[in-house]
Amino acid sequence: MSKLIVSDVSISFGGLKALDSVSFDVKQGEIRGIIGPNGAGKTTMLNVISGINKADSGKITFDGTLLTGLKTNKIASKGIGRTFQATKLFKGMTVLENVMTGAHSQLHANPFSAAFNFPFVAKEEKQAADQAYEVLEFMRMERFADHEATLLSFGQQRLVEIARVLVGKPQVLLLDEPAVGLSVTRVGEVEDLLKRIRQEWGITIVMIEHVIRLVMGVCDRITVLNSGEKIADGTADEVINNPAVERAYLGSKVKVNVTD
Amino acid sequence: MQALLARRNIVAVGIIVFAILPMVANAYIVFVANLALMYILLSVGLNMLLGYAGQLAFPNAALFGVGAYTSGLLRLEFDLPYWITLPAGAAFATLIGLAIALPALRLRGLYLALATIAFAQAALWVFGHWNSVTYGGAGFRVPPMDFSPLPLDPPTGIYYLTLIIVLVAVPLGWNIVRSRIGRAWVALRESEVAAETLGIDLTRYKAYAYVVSGLYAGTAGALFSALLGIVTPESFDLFQVIVHFCMVIVGGIGSLWGGVLGAVILVGLLEVLRTFRDLQEIAFGGLLLFTVLVVPGGAIAMIKRYLPGWNEPLRRIGKKR
Repeated sequence: MSKLIVSDVSISFGGLKALDSVSFDVKQGEIRGIIGPNGAGKTTMLNVISGINKADSGKITFDGTLLTGLKTNKIASKGIGRTFQATKLFKGMTVLENVMTGAHSQLHANPFSAAFNFPFVAKEEKQAADQAYEVLEFMRMERFADHEATLLSFGQQRLVEIARVLVGKPQVLLLDEPAVGLSVTRVGEVEDLLKRIRQEWGITIVMIEHVIRLVMGVCDRITVLNSGEKIADGTADEVINNPAVERAYLGSKVKVNVTD
Repeated sequence: MQALLARRNIVAVGIIVFAILPMVANAYIVFVANLALMYILLSVGLNMLLGYAGQLAFPNAALFGVGAYTSGLLRLEFDLPYWITLPAGAAFATLIGLAIALPALRLRGLYLALATIAFAQAALWVFGHWNSVTYGGAGFRVPPMDFSPLPLDPPTGIYYLTLIIVLVAVPLGWNIVRSRIGRAWVALRESEVAAETLGIDLTRYKAYAYVVSGLYAGTAGALFSALLGIVTPESFDLFQVIVHFCMVIVGGIGSLWGGVLGAVILVGLLEVLRTFRDLQEIAFGGLLLFTVLVVPGGAIAMIKRYLPGWNEPLRRIGKKR
């Protein structure tokens, strides 16, 4: 069954068509890769799904409910989590507090009940802290729980960002280049992590990635975008042998005549 | 030795000093201490809006005035007791705070700062020119509070009332910033987009910051009208905006206990310079510059660097394991 259906989504910024009636659908438990050259519209695609950019036309449904037109926070609390290409960890918070912030939608305190620390608030806070700690353990990051988050290394910050989304128990995870700038061994760890996230949490993943080894290693299907259009969609092998994809990345073959 | 200087101990000593002050000090010192307590409310309130939620907004001086005018006028015109005028002043200021929040939610950064300063100026104009209600530029005298049947003269009564309110309001604020509310505020301060994608409703949480902040300012205003016994527009002018801002910056922006510290430091400075009025603004400017350039985190950052037991987690549980 399709978990997330993107149909005919278009969006322009000024005169630039960032997405031109793009459609694809993602099955429950699938890991979907989105690849394409720079400026292909990959991040815009994730932004439209999570409501940061509003599509000019087309629609997105998630488990049968229409996401198009909802505010970003509503889409998030329906179970769609995401990370960013440039990590956006909150400064002034420890790793644990950053991750606890991801549990926001599962808590119910308002300023009044929080001020008087009602019993349910205390209970939920404890649960949130425990869950945050468990997710950090799952990611083998628990020893950094009390570190200031923005002082960690780049790779560690990426992991904290994933932990922060996971603690909110999303059904779909949108990852924007989870392996960018990571060393080869680190990429292997991310590959391992993504598989574990699917296996142990049953989360559907849609990810943008340039590290081809990772894309080929974990993605069930790959969608290829180029200049805002979908040019291919299929398994790793199908996509790699697709002439349109080759053209998008390498350009078409041109005969060069050398005279003199 | 350093452990003795942990926040818990310093706060305990502070409470004891404030509690016994009226018994040992003269009326002037008690008055200044009362001012300091009142400014703690303003500083802590503004710090939630400015420091935690990161909204560069300055409605609080005006809301401070709304609280003072509301409670003062209710006392003057209807002779109501303090336990009605005080909550009424605080509540009305909170309401006005919410009313400003609605347009302000759409603004950011400098535009927000300008719009809220314009609001402060507009409120000042209303205080000074709505003669039939506010008594115009000359203001009005507030009949002293009556604390009977308690055997307290008005100054002592107001002092202890302020102390009790501070002892309630600061821990309540401390609870708020250590809950999902405080984390949501810091999150939207650091990245609105990331906060939204974690399910945080920006509009709602910004509005919470304005409302809570307005409640603190209004409460302080209601106490102020009783403390001074006179309400005039110039108490709530741009200088007041600057004083609040200085308290937050000098004490420590984004730190609740920094707000407390900033209020005490600046009220002390104001009183030392009371006789040299022109020097006050220069000293404020100098202190602000010094803080921004040398200790950007304010006094609290210095303390946190050298003393254990002053850190402020944004959660109340899940300590180091």
